[in-house]
Amino acid sequence: MVICILASPIIVIRSFGASRPQAQEASNTAMTLLSKTITAFGSLLLAHACYSAREHTALQSIRAATAATLTSSSTAATSLPVDIIIETIISTFIILLGLVLGTRPLRPLEWRVWAGKIEREGEEGFTDNAGAVDKDYMGNPFSVLESRPNFVDIRKQRKEFAEWVQKGDGKQGQ
Amino acid sequence: MAQVPVQSIHRDPQLFYWILFPITIVMILTGVLRHYATVLMASAPKKQDQKATREQRSLLHGINVRGNHHVLSKPSFTARRDALITAYESGAYLKNPDSRGQPPPNPMSDPNAMEGMMGMMKNQMAMVIPNTLIMSWINAFFSGYVIMKLPFPLTIKFKSMLQAGVATRDMDPRWMSSISWYFLCIFGLQPVFNFLLGSDNAASQMAQQMNQMGPQGGAQMFGPGVDPNKQFLAEAENLAVIEHHSVLDGVEQRLLAGIKV
Amino acid sequence: MAPPILHSPVQLSPAAALALSQQAPAFLRSSSSTVSSSPLSTLLSGPEKSEQWLQYENLIVSCLRTGDDQAAHQCLRRLVARFGDDNERVQALRGLVKEAEAQGNGALEEVLKEYNQILDENDTNIPIAKRRIALLRSMGRLSDAASALVQLLDFSPTDAEAWSELSDIYLSQGLYPQAIYAIEEVLVLAPNAWNIHARLGELQYMAATAPGVANGLYQKYMAEAVKRFARSVELCDDYLRGYYGLKLVSKRLLNDGAKATRQTDDSEFALPGTSTLERLNELATARLSEIVRHSAASDRGWRGYSEAEVAAARALLADDASAIER
Repeated sequence: MVICILASPIIVIRSFGASRPQAQEASNTAMTLLSKTITAFGSLLLAHACYSAREHTALQSIRAATAATLTSSSTAATSLPVDIIIETIISTFIILLGLVLGTRPLRPLEWRVWAGKIEREGEEGFTDNAGAVDKDYMGNPFSVLESRPNFVDIRKQRKEFAEWVQKGDGKQGQ
Repeated sequence: MAQVPVQSIHRDPQLFYWILFPITIVMILTGVLRHYATVLMASAPKKQDQKATREQRSLLHGINVRGNHHVLSKPSFTARRDALITAYESGAYLKNPDSRGQPPPNPMSDPNAMEGMMGMMKNQMAMVIPNTLIMSWINAFFSGYVIMKLPFPLTIKFKSMLQAGVATRDMDPRWMSSISWYFLCIFGLQPVFNFLLGSDNAASQMAQQMNQMGPQGGAQMFGPGVDPNKQFLAEAENLAVIEHHSVLDGVEQRLLAGIKV
Repeated sequence: MAPPILHSPVQLSPAAALALSQQAPAFLRSSSSTVSSSPLSTLLSGPEKSEQWLQYENLIVSCLRTGDDQAAHQCLRRLVARFGDDNERVQALRGLVKEAEAQGNGALEEVLKEYNQILDENDTNIPIAKRRIALLRSMGRLSDAASALVQLLDFSPTDAEAWSELSDIYLSQGLYPQAIYAIEEVLVLAPNAWNIHARLGELQYMAATAPGVANGLYQKYMAEAVKRFARSVELCDDYLRGYYGLKLVSKRLLNDGAKATRQTDDSEFALPGTSTLERLNELATARLSEIVRHSAASDRGWRGYSEAEVAAARALLADDASAIER
């Protein structure tokens, strides 16, 4: 985690000199890092709020117990102080912000945009932040209707492949 | 804060090992056993002969043409419609054209339908019998006492669920009886079965129940007791009343208006 | 990166197929070899994944293609161990392996005989029926393949893949109207398939430009080709194939220009007017040149097109430019 945080300025700095695609990739990484940092900070804040609330209740009950033994009159249960409540709410929103920043870009909703994305970007358009291709990405789902895997002419494909290999060898030999 | 004094019941720690674990393990094993019993009992889906396949898929074909008529140009649609209507009305696609017009056979006397019902019965039995057995086993041996305390507080509403068989009015709902543990196991072991047997296992009763509730479109459409001839005639009528329009009408204008250079 | 062998490897380039089949040994090693349906072993080895079997299937095809028969046999053995000998898909795969290894026509006839025998026992075995048709076609018996396919489609008219194959067979025989009819059936089953719309446009264009086509028919085919390409582009932004066809067809129609457009009855599509055609041509040119430009620079987000398609588009654009200069 510490190393990641230390590395982030380096990535950002390097991105200034890089060409456009690299810059985008680097900014992607920086984005994930940012979102993770924000989420971690929010979680920390939330944990702190929880701890404060717990401490406060414990203190209250001790005070109530001592008060009961001293004056034998039960004090009403007091509610949490406002600052703890505010801290809880703010930390929740910070976590939300971090998570939202970390999500991958939304999938296109319109059919033609989605189809165009498949055609234009290929696998690249369907990678997550780590760079792995989506599991359910399958290219054009209708390409099966043209490639027709159940009718594959395996002998022809074998021959073509052998020719391709020979040609490749020839190229390498030159 | 006025705290309810914490109820403490002294239990023999051995209860934990001799009741809680056995019930859980037995439940898991029964689930696994039931899975394999269903797999073994399941008869392979009955092969349809060519004629039955033809009957069903021809009807589906008609439905497809009706639903997607807009991708066709008018002449091609008309040609298809005329051919389909003629074939439907003459009963060319029927499995046995001789039995046209006769009332459909009683599903009870149809051996195919009986087989389907037997399969359903088998599944039901595989579910009901082990559950009954285990419940009576638990009732006979472990009923009537508290076996564990849940690590989190609960409201009073849970009393009837968690303390079945222990009729004590003032007891904290966190205390659980053995029969309640059994019920929790029934509903809570789903992920365990998924983990052990894969996600489409037969032990998952909930999935079965969902299936029973959900609409079974395919099965109903070609189920026993439906007269295919009537379906064909109805489909022919549906096809005949279509007012054809093509998605290609004015597509250039749409394209030019929609996409800016 | 995980091996992307979940989709069919039939249309991969030779290099990609080679890379895929080279993954085979690692994949075979990584997944346990003894898959049985005995309860204990499944409990121990964890749940089986359905993708795994798909991967085996695809590996068989790509290994056969690259000549790695040994790995193909190994995959097939595992599939047989899991699904049994008489599973329809396993039968088809075994047939595929035999076809690939067959030497000479005698061996192929042998395989064909086997297929016939299986089909005699069970005439609804669609995978085997498809293999038989593919084998017939591979052996050059086109009309046999076509009639077998028609028979298959008679009892299973909702099989889009088979309709598409039928269209291809008819096309290779030069029977354009039949090929168009078959591809229209595919569209009925998959109404939003943009590549099939483009394919239909291509077929119409081929039918229109075939030698000896009457003028009326020519216009009818061309009119629908324009519309089909336009529809494919409407379904898919920046669809290279669709724009290519649109440009090709509209350019040709503009060159024809002077020919009086015949008055068609309203049941058929009319050719669009000259101004519409010009605008379509402009649109297609603009989009194509943008695609070519971005692909040449290999910009991020424009790397999905195949090189051959981009090269063809560039050639078409260059052709256009030189025509204007003249």
